Amino acid sequence: MQITFKVYRKDPEKDGKPGRSNYSVELDEEATVLDGLLKIRDEMDDTLAFRASCARGYCGECTMRVNYKACFACTAKVSAFTKKSPEILLDPLRNIPVIKDLVFDWDAFMWNKITAVKPWLEPDESSTNGENLLPDSTMADLRKVMSCYYCGLCDEGCTVLPVDFDFLGPAALTKAYRFVFDPRDKAGRERLKIAEKPKGIWDCVHCFEASEHCPRGIAPTERIISIRDKAFKVGITNEKVARHHTSFAASVKESGWLDEGRLALESEGLTNIKGLMKLLPTAARAMARGKAPIPYLHPKRPGAEQIKKIFEKGEREKK
Amino acid sequence: MQAFDVLVIGGGASGLRAAIAVKGAGASVALITKVHPLRTNSGLAQGGLNAPLGKDDSAEKFAEDTLAAGDDLCERDIVRAFAQEASRDVIWLEHVGVPFNRSAEGRIDLRQFGSNSRSRTCYTDDRTGHIVLQVLHEQFERLQIPSFEEWFVTSLAVDGSACVGAVALGLRSGKLEPFTARAVILATGGFSRMYLPSTVSLGTTGDGQNLAFTAGARLMDMEMIQFHPTVFPKGQGLLISEATLREGAEIINEKGEPVLESKALTREKICLAMRQATQNGSGALSLDLRRIGKEKLASRFPQTLELAKTVAGIDVTKEPIPIRPVAHRPMGGIETDADGATSVPGMFAVGECACSGLNGAGRLAGNTLTEALVFGRKVGETATRHAKGAPVKGFPGSKLSDEEKRLAALTSGNFSGDSAGKIHSELGQLMNDKVGLVRDGAGLREALERIQSLKERHRKIKLSNSSRIYNYALTSALELGSMLNLAEAVALAAQARSESRGAHRRADFPERDDQNWRCHTVVSLAQGSPQVEKKPVAGGA
Repeated sequence: MQITFKVYRKDPEKDGKPGRSNYSVELDEEATVLDGLLKIRDEMDDTLAFRASCARGYCGECTMRVNYKACFACTAKVSAFTKKSPEILLDPLRNIPVIKDLVFDWDAFMWNKITAVKPWLEPDESSTNGENLLPDSTMADLRKVMSCYYCGLCDEGCTVLPVDFDFLGPAALTKAYRFVFDPRDKAGRERLKIAEKPKGIWDCVHCFEASEHCPRGIAPTERIISIRDKAFKVGITNEKVARHHTSFAASVKESGWLDEGRLALESEGLTNIKGLMKLLPTAARAMARGKAPIPYLHPKRPGAEQIKKIFEKGEREKK
Repeated sequence: MQAFDVLVIGGGASGLRAAIAVKGAGASVALITKVHPLRTNSGLAQGGLNAPLGKDDSAEKFAEDTLAAGDDLCERDIVRAFAQEASRDVIWLEHVGVPFNRSAEGRIDLRQFGSNSRSRTCYTDDRTGHIVLQVLHEQFERLQIPSFEEWFVTSLAVDGSACVGAVALGLRSGKLEPFTARAVILATGGFSRMYLPSTVSLGTTGDGQNLAFTAGARLMDMEMIQFHPTVFPKGQGLLISEATLREGAEIINEKGEPVLESKALTREKICLAMRQATQNGSGALSLDLRRIGKEKLASRFPQTLELAKTVAGIDVTKEPIPIRPVAHRPMGGIETDADGATSVPGMFAVGECACSGLNGAGRLAGNTLTEALVFGRKVGETATRHAKGAPVKGFPGSKLSDEEKRLAALTSGNFSGDSAGKIHSELGQLMNDKVGLVRDGAGLREALERIQSLKERHRKIKLSNSSRIYNYALTSALELGSMLNLAEAVALAAQARSESRGAHRRADFPERDDQNWRCHTVVSLAQGSPQVEKKPVAGGA
């Protein structure tokens, strides 16, 4: 079949402006997008730059967008993308600096962020002969997480990264999970502190796009939530968003509904004078419109006692 | 100029393990790799890695199985030392974080794999390579070892007789730069991409073997190419772990009848049985994974299920998947001693690019990753010792400018019309047809002639891409040059060995000939031409 590939182009040695090249390629029914690209580079245009390594779905190196859908060129069958039209658009992943054509900056996009979570196990140097005795259920969970092929599709789907490129992102935080939940790691608390720094676990908005995009079903969003839970459990709750969560829950537990004034104060931190000062203009405007919620003087809702019982039951079960 | 005590070339399992060992032994070290370490071919290994950890097992039994798979061409002392050290290195890997599958007691679970006579293969589902590679990379990062990723080594620097560094092209910067070192460790993996299809990644093109060979090192046992029996042969070739056989899968003919009488066979024996069955008219062969059962397939072979579906379009829980033997890994490579030293001072080699004689004429399933660990550690320690005693040598003055000129000739912009891809396709087909699972004298002669003409065409390649930044046409042309040189060495060694042993099967010499051929082949360059010699199998009875 004859396919026209319309490929994103950018040449850092020329004006660096993005453009597109069209290539008409004869391919067989079974061909993949990678087959098409290799043929173009080999027979039509040897200046076309794209990455590929394993060429059969193991490694994630050839991640790109095919007709705007992020996937792997090596497993994307051309026939699946040409049912309506014999044209295929190829682009680099979204929101990532492009170096040349389909070659984007993996370092800035993912590898550097993974390095930032100290992605290595701190082994117990005193452990002696023989392996650590560990249940397979714990190991199976880690194996699932480590089936990640660093393809970047979770980061590509993330809704925070487009507005804050410095967010560590689901791929790096999922890597952090692998150590936080490995009983052999001796740097547990320190690593949780890394993950909960600004741009870490608390910046995730749990939109679950990462989990939707992960081709291996690793569920990065749920992994981030698990790290948050663990941070709470071991008492690392100083980050603003953590205080926000704590205050939110405490307020609903006590009165059955949200005490917005209290939430604002406790999220900033009651000893954080600078942060509290920042709230003043908002509070003043709200007061002028007669909407100022008075913190802590917060009437209970009917049924608040029922809600409190639900909380207490949950807390007991968690213990 | 970048300067280190030890330079490791290649970012797969062997290279990472070697770099970790060098750092641990107190020398400065850097890694150069043409793809990110987590994208290397080590990640494709599935079945597992051997260590004699079972109650019914021992280093002696492990050594016996390794020797048997090597069909009497192994270096016995090297095999015995390897078998002794394997457990320690695999346990280290567990301590630093590999989440091995566990037994009910919480110990590392062991699976039966290939022709191992005991359950001794440690595994992480069917993604062992992928996960071992990650853990090695984690520990590599922990030691903050400088890592030059997406740097392509174009040449080794040899001063007098010693290896003193390398010249590499930064794919991102487009710059050619010298790296000096007192010791260089080659860990660049295999060269099975000279066969099409094969089971390996696009970059498994024998770069290191060719760098070493052209710099004066010798290649050993190059004719020994292991074919893997259970590979879906379409497209690039998709390997289905042989571990499935011992877990209940069957190789079946068109009538659905099992083809193998036993599954505890070496890979070449299974491949030959499959060839026999096809020749006897049982039609195309398939692997029936349904016999394993859905549940066990999902829990032990999740990647197989996934890739069979995405790559081959087959739901293996419902139907058999077509298979045939496909080129997998070479046993041969850069000749080294027991510690990874080559015949060139300062040059070391490890893993699939090296040949110490551990694997002889056939590699035991599950030994590749263990070899990377054991020999990676050893070569790191040996290269460090060498580096500490070696004088600082100057980088040969003209080396960089010579390489500049060589690359400039390729990227001059006057497109020659021929391409690396076309020549590679012809080479891949030729190697399968004439230097494949079974060879003969006439076919090998023809192969050598055609390799010469392909080499001639390769010499004339000129690219229209004159950039140096991410110029993959340029790196492909360089890789093809390596494959052609090595293909010639493979065919020459195969032509010389007039017997059948291990992975080397000659239709015209079907018997093993211990009197004349219980010896290695060694290919070296003499006045620019490859020459084959015999080298006795040494060490231990």
